[in-house]
Amino acid sequence: MAKDITLLWVAGSPPCWRVMIALEEKNLQGYNQKLLSFEKGEHKSKEVMDINPRGQVPAFKYKDYILNESYAACFFLECQHKAQGNDLTPQCPKELAQMYQRMFEGLNISQKGIDVIAYNWRVPEGERHESAQKRNKEALTEELKLWEGYLQQGPYLAGKTFSLADVVVFPSVAILYRFGLCEKRYPNLAKYYNCLKERPSIKASWPPKWDEDIKGGPPRDLLKDI
Amino acid sequence: MASDMTLLWGSGSPPCWRVMIVLEEKGLQGYNQKLLSFEKGEHKSECVMKMNPRGQLPAFKIKDYVLNESCAACFFLECQYQCQGSKLTPECPAEKARMLQRIFEANNLGQKMGDVIYYNWKVPEDERHDSAVKRNKDALREELKLWENYLQKGNFMAGKSFTLADVVVFPLVAYGFRNGLCQERYSNLARYYNELKARPSIKTTWPPTWIDTCPGETLKDI
Repeated sequence: MAKDITLLWVAGSPPCWRVMIALEEKNLQGYNQKLLSFEKGEHKSKEVMDINPRGQVPAFKYKDYILNESYAACFFLECQHKAQGNDLTPQCPKELAQMYQRMFEGLNISQKGIDVIAYNWRVPEGERHESAQKRNKEALTEELKLWEGYLQQGPYLAGKTFSLADVVVFPSVAILYRFGLCEKRYPNLAKYYNCLKERPSIKASWPPKWDEDIKGGPPRDLLKDI
Repeated sequence: MASDMTLLWGSGSPPCWRVMIVLEEKGLQGYNQKLLSFEKGEHKSECVMKMNPRGQLPAFKIKDYVLNESCAACFFLECQYQCQGSKLTPECPAEKARMLQRIFEANNLGQKMGDVIYYNWKVPEDERHDSAVKRNKDALREELKLWENYLQKGNFMAGKSFTLADVVVFPLVAYGFRNGLCQERYSNLARYYNELKARPSIKTTWPPTWIDTCPGETLKDI
């Protein structure tokens, strides 16, 4: 039941967004939730640390089961609420295999995106190198070429329906567009993004202040040359 | 069927090892397999690139379904062979949630271990900093404390039996000890490691290059 569920989240965080999409897809609206401020460092507050000693969001509890890892929460919700809301797991073995493969490959696009976007947050000033960021951007470029290929036959990542693969990968794709990824250079990826933007669960959970600059954060056109 | 499966693998690679453990647990011995050498760069060879354009191992196929990501392969095998071999997913929701949480937390452990062990491979010489090396070691130390705590009670990562969480995490823990992690300092992890070493699926798939060779020392001061 939605009232047994608690989510502490930050706007624009892909892992938080994944969980929110899954909750919408499974018709679990009405869960307890609290929006925290990243800029005020609330992700390191006691409230978060009590649920997630890593001091990270999402901090997520289902009854007293802790599921802070976004993929864990998504898998669990799909499994526990199989018959509720949308079915996010294909029946056909070939599509199921593709779903799992794309979900776990999704960790690459997520990581490589973060490596570029969050470079200055993660690397102390004295250790930053243009050569390192250049390498990060090249890695992201190579990664995007793979996904452009995967999305040649859309509209979803695995088979003919929206699945857990889209739940987990879409937010990692969306954040690239937030920071200026060129739609023309990756047309299949852009089509995927623009099509899924309209999906009810994604619209309902669209991060607030998406079009605003993050104070002290990376520029909104950071990825324009990728 | 095992004859529909092909695995290209490297000795000691935790992701490869995970797939092999699950295949044993599910009674799927007899799959087609080829051992490749990382040192000779065989993970970038044509036969790997054909199956895995990322040039990484494992490269794994069931019929024509590509499952190169180790966790994808593990989840798929457990799902498709639910009723065969050992059951690797708990029924109890609390244990299932714990299993899933630990599986995905394992990414942190793998990442932080890699950041220390492979620092000089990943970072060009003119970008290296002692401060970064120290930070990576501190991060790994903090990470290991979490896992040491998780293993305070019990012999498995989730609940009372061996699950996919152990399939995913054990190879990383073994890799840590193989690279010199101190058993006295991490006694719960050491207990976990020494007990699961004896499990048939793990004994059978023990990395061949680890037999009769000495462990490394990179992590001895962590």
